[in-house]
Amino acid sequence: CNDFQKAFKSDDIALKFEKGTELFDAGEWKKANRLFEQIVPNYRGKPQAEKLLYMHAMSFYKTEKYFISGYQFERFASSYPNSEKQEEAAFLSAKSYYYESPIYSKAQEETTKALEKLQIFINSFPNSEYLTEANQLIKELDFKLEKKAFEVAKQYNRIYDYKASIKSFNNFLLDFPGSELHKDAMYYRFLASYNLATNSIDALKEERIQEAVNYYNIFKKNYPNSEYLKTADDLKKDLETTTSVTVANNTKS
Amino acid sequence: QIENGKKYTINEIVVTGNTSFNASTIITFSRLKKGDEVIFGGEKVADAVKKLWGSNLFGAIDLYFINIKEDTVDIEIKLTDLPELNEVRVEGVKKGKIDEILEENNLKPKVKVTENLITTSKNYIANKYKDKGFLNTKVNIVTAEVKNDSVEKQRVNMLVSVDKGQKVKIKNIVFEGNDQLSDKKLRKALKNTKRKNPIRVLKRSKYVEESYKEDLISLIDTYKENGFRDARVISDSIIYHDDETISLAINVEEGEKYTFGKIDFVGNTVYSDRFLQQILRINEGDTYNGVLLKKRIANEERPDGIDLTNYYQNFGYLFSTINPVEVSADGNVIDLEIRISEGKPAYFNTVGVKGNDITNDHVIYRELRTRPGELYSRANIIRTIRELGQLGFFDAQQIVPDIKNPNPVDGTVDVEYTVVERGSSQIELQGGFGGGGFIGTLGLSFNNFSIKNIFNKKAYTPVPRGDGQSLALRLQASQLFQTYSFSFSEPWFGGKKPFQLSTSLSYSRQFLFDPVTTRPDRDRNFDILGITFGVATKLKEPDDFFLLSQSISYQNYSLNNFNSGLFTFGDGFSNNLSYTIALTRNSVNDPIYPTQGSNFSTSAKLSLPYSLWNGVDYDELSEERNSLDINDPNDAVRIGEIDQERFKWLEFYKVKFKADWYTEVTDKLVLRPSVEFGFLGAYNNNRGVIPFERFFLGGDGLGNFSLDGREIIQLRGYPNQSLSSPDGASIYNKFSLELRYPITLGQGAKIYALSFVEGGASVDRFRDFNPFNIQRSAGLGLRIFMPAFGLLGIDFGHGFDPIPGQIQKNGWETHFIIGQQF
Repeated sequence: CNDFQKAFKSDDIALKFEKGTELFDAGEWKKANRLFEQIVPNYRGKPQAEKLLYMHAMSFYKTEKYFISGYQFERFASSYPNSEKQEEAAFLSAKSYYYESPIYSKAQEETTKALEKLQIFINSFPNSEYLTEANQLIKELDFKLEKKAFEVAKQYNRIYDYKASIKSFNNFLLDFPGSELHKDAMYYRFLASYNLATNSIDALKEERIQEAVNYYNIFKKNYPNSEYLKTADDLKKDLETTTSVTVANNTKS
Repeated sequence: QIENGKKYTINEIVVTGNTSFNASTIITFSRLKKGDEVIFGGEKVADAVKKLWGSNLFGAIDLYFINIKEDTVDIEIKLTDLPELNEVRVEGVKKGKIDEILEENNLKPKVKVTENLITTSKNYIANKYKDKGFLNTKVNIVTAEVKNDSVEKQRVNMLVSVDKGQKVKIKNIVFEGNDQLSDKKLRKALKNTKRKNPIRVLKRSKYVEESYKEDLISLIDTYKENGFRDARVISDSIIYHDDETISLAINVEEGEKYTFGKIDFVGNTVYSDRFLQQILRINEGDTYNGVLLKKRIANEERPDGIDLTNYYQNFGYLFSTINPVEVSADGNVIDLEIRISEGKPAYFNTVGVKGNDITNDHVIYRELRTRPGELYSRANIIRTIRELGQLGFFDAQQIVPDIKNPNPVDGTVDVEYTVVERGSSQIELQGGFGGGGFIGTLGLSFNNFSIKNIFNKKAYTPVPRGDGQSLALRLQASQLFQTYSFSFSEPWFGGKKPFQLSTSLSYSRQFLFDPVTTRPDRDRNFDILGITFGVATKLKEPDDFFLLSQSISYQNYSLNNFNSGLFTFGDGFSNNLSYTIALTRNSVNDPIYPTQGSNFSTSAKLSLPYSLWNGVDYDELSEERNSLDINDPNDAVRIGEIDQERFKWLEFYKVKFKADWYTEVTDKLVLRPSVEFGFLGAYNNNRGVIPFERFFLGGDGLGNFSLDGREIIQLRGYPNQSLSSPDGASIYNKFSLELRYPITLGQGAKIYALSFVEGGASVDRFRDFNPFNIQRSAGLGLRIFMPAFGLLGIDFGHGFDPIPGQIQKNGWETHFIIGQQF
């Protein structure tokens, strides 16, 4: 600790570099970071800068300051295209952006950015050792975007705006054809159309029941063994009884 | 000797010339390396030069190939540093302005001095003063090298001399060629270019070229509004009288006066000609007015106004276009065809929100009035913006709808709202002396709380936020009293409907002050416990601005050997169980600085009519009480007993009404009239009006300790609560007229100035009530709203009437307004 204080207060940049490297190797990221912070401008353009900038970026990464580490690694990777650490830096930069991505229910600008960076990484290093992990991260981020759209569509059903819910699920199914939530989306689309049909005035009922049955058929065709099927079957039966009643009423009047 | 297109390997790189930079730094920066292969005039070389230029550090850069051998070459980079700025002297302007000039032109030590810097600074300063009316401003900038400099670099001193000259005023504006419109009318049309006039104070007479050019356009617009559609300015000139005054001569050609002829609508299938004509409101024979015509077709100043475009845009016709075409001009009569292309109605395809870094989607999407699959409507977009602003989680001024991917073929369009989160939490921590001792207050209020994340450690940033709930905690304590309160509300309880559930809990204990020991007597205390449950629903009828709220509240007062002004007994209790129902309609467009809309609320608060069935003969008690003398100790005890019987369960009803309107008079200047009224009554006149729940009129309107249900009503220009009897009034009314003008509505702080006239009165009995016998006042004030502090304000009010019991008018009062929003 004393050594650190001495280095921290000293004017000797070489000492700071040396002590910082030592702390860095020992895993004292925070302290190392504070020393590097002081000397980065001094080493700009010098041969040691490559190592320093790498350690500097890494010390941010290790202390979970991902916003800065993402930027620093990116800069490192572009400044030292021939460095042996370039691939790692490029990956950690993208991964830093991944860490910045928030929960699905909030604005997803960072998620989109992280996806972009990870894709660039995969394109630039198609044989990288980090490829599996990068793909894993992409999958996770993609799911976040799917989940966001899915939950918004589901909420419309919840707040009785069935039309908006159906439209949103239609958009969802178009936008994310391979989604893990594909089945759920098809089921909930049917559910919203069921709700719409049963809550309609008589004049509109028949047409909307038709639409709901149609969504039911698509769902059943795609997922004949789904756990939702039993509920869906019950709802469909309900629709069929309503249809006969409505038709009877309509013909009467 | 050198071969074009041949690759040479760099053998050595040298840096020469007049530069103070380290050679290796320059070489690294140029991205050239020993051993690199280069072509003379190739990309690599060009890049190196470009990179060096890009640094903005050098005045001259040359790159030479030297010592050319078979296939190796040395490279010489010859550089001249730009001189650095050492000192700047500014002459001819006020001292206070010097820093501003240096700052705005970035004239700081160590800045590289380029020709460009000198020229732009010169122009910038000259224009700065010209804009202020110093038409003859001359600026000169000279630089001189620093001699005998100890530093290796080349440095220069700069002298900026400004000759502002005299402020130029416009002595006269002369019009020529105007037979139809008077000089006066035309001068009025020049909004920012005015003659010298000692009476006019708001606008100074000065000549600013830019606004003069704009004014000439509005001059022509004035002609156009009066039927002279061919009017134009033939020439305009400046006459220099002396250094201080100029005159403007404007020569116009008016042309002839035109009138509207027949107006036909073409292409309309959705609306009938008759209906469109009713919106257009322009008839055959009216004076031709192009400006009005444009406005009735699409009023750009009022996006929610009544015009033809909105009748299409608000009902799905996003792709509609409306063009007036002159089909014939017979003499001075212009026949118009309004050609409408309606297009396909558009439906929203995707609706998105971005920028919500804190607030969760579900809190926002449920408030949107534009949903996927719905018909496009501009009015609904505008309303969505307004309502998102009202949530209080986002900066209302910065909510922007982005209308994307309009597809006329499919009839679809996307909309994405961009929001900017704003701090909606407030922390109040204060200590001060008052009421005979130290008072400490800790208040926390979180307006975008997330209760479900209360045990989620990660969500503490610094408190769990984003679910739109509000939570407030307040602790206040001094030697004399302690108050604890807690409240929570969820605007969409259950998540299905806008059904607000709120609950609050408060407890306070007050000790009696002992004047002998000058300390609070801890054995004698007064406790108040309060619990409230409330629900509120947004209504759809009569329109969807209405909110119906209901609540049940219970309060228990308990006295332990504590004689207060409120009760005639020292030991005893009182319960207040009441039901409140309120109907409010709120259509204001911004919670902090509304410019449009109105706010109405009417409410009734009721207790059960206990006296109907509890068998107590209040008539007799009332008679007995009236026969007793409060100053007689024996009688006082009996009065206490009677009052305990009367106040066991408080019996009352209270009705209130309040309304305020906001109208934008001119740009941003807002007029706010308001009226309010309140009445507290008793079911059983013999039981009497309770001493709780009363109205206290006068002063700043801030309620600090209001657990007895009292209502503090603001009436500026008088001391706090001075216009009601000490125990509070049972009836009051108030009228107020406020004029507000914003100073800034920026993100960090919103500041506006206001002036007001108001009047109000409060009485204890209905027979004394006269709504026009009021105490009047007028004054000025300022409000500052900052997200972290809430609202701060100061008002200076002048009371024109005496406060009760006095003869002289009250005069000036200063009020500080904290945290209160109205």
